[in-house]
Amino acid sequence: MSTLVDSTVNVEGPHFGRLTPRMAAWREELMETPQSVCVERAMLTTETYRQHQGEPMVLRRALMLKNVLENMSIFIEPATLICGNQASANRAAPIMPEYAMDWVIAELDEFDQRPGDRFTITEDAKEQLRGIAPYWEHNTLKDRGLSLMPPASRQFYDLGIIHPEGNITSGDAHIAVYYERVLAEGLSGYLARTAALLAALDLTEPDQLRKSFFYRSVHIALTAVIDFAHRYSALAADLASCEPDEARRAELVEMSRVLAKVPEHPADTFAEAVQAVWLVQLTLQIESNGHSLSYGRFDQFMNRFYEADLEAGRITPDQATELLTNLWLKTMTLAKIRGWSHTRFSAGGPLYQNVTVGGQTPEGLDAVNPLSYLVLRSVAQTRLPQPNLTVRYHRGLADDFMMECIEVMRLGFGMPAFNSDEVIIPSLINKGVEKSDAYNYSAIGCVEVAVPGKWGYRCTGMSFLNFPKTLLTAMNNGVDPKSGELIATPVKSFTAMTNFDELMEAWDVTVREFQRHAVILDSACDIALEENVADILCSALVEDCLGRGKPIKEGGAVYDFISGLQVGIANLGDSLAAIKKCVFDDRTITSTELWDALMNDFAGVRGKEIQAALANAPKYGNDDDYVDELLVQAYDSCIDEIFKHHNTRYGRGPIGGGYYAGTSSISANVPQGASTMATPDGRNAGQPLAEGCSPSHGADTHGPTAVFKSVSKLDTARITGGVLLNQKVTPQVLAKEADRKKLILLLRTFFNRLDGFHVQYNVVDRATLLDAQVHPERHRDLIVRVAGYSAFFNVLSRATQDDIIARTEQTL
Amino acid sequence: MPEDVGRIFDIQKFSLHDGPGIRTVVFLKGCPMGCAWCSNPGSRKLRVLPVRDPDNPSVFTADSRDYSIDEVIRVCLQDLPFYEESGGGVTLSGGEAMVQHQFTTRLLRKLKARGIHTAIETTGYASPGIFRKIVAAVDLLIIDVKHHDRKLHKQWTTVSNELPLRNLAWALDAGAEVLVRIPVIPGVNARCEDAEAFSRLLAPLGVRDVQLLPFHQFGERKYELLGWDYRMSGVPPLHEEDLTEYVRTFDNFGVHAFF
Repeated sequence: MSTLVDSTVNVEGPHFGRLTPRMAAWREELMETPQSVCVERAMLTTETYRQHQGEPMVLRRALMLKNVLENMSIFIEPATLICGNQASANRAAPIMPEYAMDWVIAELDEFDQRPGDRFTITEDAKEQLRGIAPYWEHNTLKDRGLSLMPPASRQFYDLGIIHPEGNITSGDAHIAVYYERVLAEGLSGYLARTAALLAALDLTEPDQLRKSFFYRSVHIALTAVIDFAHRYSALAADLASCEPDEARRAELVEMSRVLAKVPEHPADTFAEAVQAVWLVQLTLQIESNGHSLSYGRFDQFMNRFYEADLEAGRITPDQATELLTNLWLKTMTLAKIRGWSHTRFSAGGPLYQNVTVGGQTPEGLDAVNPLSYLVLRSVAQTRLPQPNLTVRYHRGLADDFMMECIEVMRLGFGMPAFNSDEVIIPSLINKGVEKSDAYNYSAIGCVEVAVPGKWGYRCTGMSFLNFPKTLLTAMNNGVDPKSGELIATPVKSFTAMTNFDELMEAWDVTVREFQRHAVILDSACDIALEENVADILCSALVEDCLGRGKPIKEGGAVYDFISGLQVGIANLGDSLAAIKKCVFDDRTITSTELWDALMNDFAGVRGKEIQAALANAPKYGNDDDYVDELLVQAYDSCIDEIFKHHNTRYGRGPIGGGYYAGTSSISANVPQGASTMATPDGRNAGQPLAEGCSPSHGADTHGPTAVFKSVSKLDTARITGGVLLNQKVTPQVLAKEADRKKLILLLRTFFNRLDGFHVQYNVVDRATLLDAQVHPERHRDLIVRVAGYSAFFNVLSRATQDDIIARTEQTL
Repeated sequence: MPEDVGRIFDIQKFSLHDGPGIRTVVFLKGCPMGCAWCSNPGSRKLRVLPVRDPDNPSVFTADSRDYSIDEVIRVCLQDLPFYEESGGGVTLSGGEAMVQHQFTTRLLRKLKARGIHTAIETTGYASPGIFRKIVAAVDLLIIDVKHHDRKLHKQWTTVSNELPLRNLAWALDAGAEVLVRIPVIPGVNARCEDAEAFSRLLAPLGVRDVQLLPFHQFGERKYELLGWDYRMSGVPPLHEEDLTEYVRTFDNFGVHAFF
């Protein structure tokens, strides 16, 4: 068992202590920095692409990275102890024209006018982008991707039923590279291996000639990263030479030394390791604009440096904490701009750079170490949306560490998320993952999982499949009710159905067809990504691309599975249950009445009555088999279909090459709902769909145990792409230690006994409680817990609600 | 009512303050007391009451319904994994769970037969025969002592405290697992003199620990929805920090008070 590092903080201060003054000031500055657009990456990329149009794509990509890293602006912030900036300013998003330029040009004048995720941009920058736009016409990933979509599948893209927008307007990412090896060997070790592999090729063999392009490109990319570090080393030395403050001068001199050493050579100290990781993490995000680029099991591969420094007296826990907070602030400096249509799927501009801690060793022992605690502490101190913190739960995770996790949770910024080894590890082994690798999985992005450094891109897919729209099309004889276009095999009109089984049959046929189109669209995107935008640096740092002499997208990774993303899970279950109950069991609504009400968005008196009846039908999230079993059955149709298909790497090297299901819908439930008409669960047109595998908003009125029970009925072992469950907790439940212990027991039950995959808590805040006063009907799930008393928040008197709200502020 | 049917106004899962671990609380209708501060006022009447829907006050709904034992058991068993992991179980509350004593006894026995830990939250106001039968069937007796003074007890709860105290003494003598709780109500029993009097009453019976339940106003609106008068209207709630002296007084007289 590990020891808790310095948990005895000042009783007056916050549990995890405070940021150092300079980090606190820098954090404030970052929070106030408006997001902007930077054109350097776009201009330098266009330059390389023009100059090297004739080169093989892999070489052109490496030369692009080299040109950018050699010529982009670099700076070192006054507060920072580690170097590396993504663009000409912090919080500036680079434009990456090779992925897509149409939306960039079309939306140039709107970037600073958006209702959310606003970006400032100068007129000069707009002019520069307009200047390079003609070069990229018909020449981007998006053009290629769209051209590869067969017409019948393209229709699903055009109608917005399947949404792979993120796949053809940016890179994949959703990956963690092999940091452990980078730190142990340095990039020079990778360069040496690359040189040896290149020298051993017989270029008369066409296949080996092809590999030589890849090895040459890897050489260019890795050298470019080393030179990039050296630029910072020189800059730090320059700044040191004119720094008046002695302490800061010493820091700059040290930074200059560190950057001359890493990531080129193996890291020896914690500070060197942090710097090496950051520079690589950063350049990966200059190479490609894919998001969910994750750190992997940070506490596992970094702890040896920390403990060695501690032992040698080179570092104190407080200094290490400051370095970590520095890294998280750096992580927050990155920005990504997406087209508006895609922005709504990722509200808040998140990059989902995940840090995973905890879990087990390959021997099944608790892997929590002193650095695991420091990661919690540092993330709690920075309290930012980045990085995304995941704790790997397992049976043997100690209560004291769980208690620290709950302390982070109390801060109310939605972290950490828990992923459970108990279900994930067996599920990975079952898919052919080596035991030692399965025990080394980490979260990628938010809930999805992969083996860091050995797994291909996008362990979660990005083709969002809208379940409620699928159901409505199935009910409408294969015709999309919105566009009136026939998009699926007609089975039967809902109004002509005489029993519920007919509906389930129509669903089965339709969802399988939709799922096949989703796979086709995924493959079209993957072919385009493979042909147009290979990531050389990322591939070099993922096993076994070097060994196989090819990038990840050509089958270089040891493992390569992806998932689709199914959206509106709860709405599907609730809709089926409401139809079964109201139309076929109780016969209180006729099928024609229901269909008309849906088309009219429940207008009129009868429409409202119908909506009320639908809303009163059993709802997913209440441990009610009536609805839960319908959902499981319906989802199984889709999952069965997903498992039949291969991705573009099948048979090209990786273990896997297939699909599994996934529900990490991030914020896609909002725009997916915006374009979806009224649904049979009583939801109005345009309202958000339910997120992930969580119950529909406010539908879970029987408390968290019932939610966990409902979720546990899903076929979790086949939803390896993530079973995303967001839960609410009122601050009162977190206020007392005895109750926090019961919350831990609640989590343990979910994970130990109910095959729980993931859960994340949002602490109910003042705003939610105030909204519940105005709209009690939307917050039926808010339960008040005191001894011997039974009622919901909305049964409290106004004065009592006010008292709770006032005290909510205090506990937070 | 037949003995295998009970009138219940709520079954609440994930209850944290009604016994050990994670529990399901079954709230039974009917109560012989009429405490002025009652937070489940409709539960006093055994009969089904019409009550306004809190979200839509022009609509009346029934405040309770009849459950068969098997239905209650089925709902309680849904959370069995949580009981097992947390050392929790099922708590019968009310109202006064001993009013429907035949149902309560059978339910407790059936739960016990399933290996589920059981508790009962009671006023202790029941005929000794019924009280003893139920205590014998339950794992944990959680019993309220609402006032130390017989007259004031009657004034605030409509009945005397003699019977509950006699039952409590018996349970302690019989070696039952007992948790004594005191609802601390402003203007009723919340002065330090009250804490002293409670201690002098309880310590000789062998009570070492008491749980304090500070007065809250969570039930206030229920009176309005029932159309009933509420004697404690507008009385500010007590919070733990208001009762530091009160707790200390208990300690001074040899009784450990906690929340």
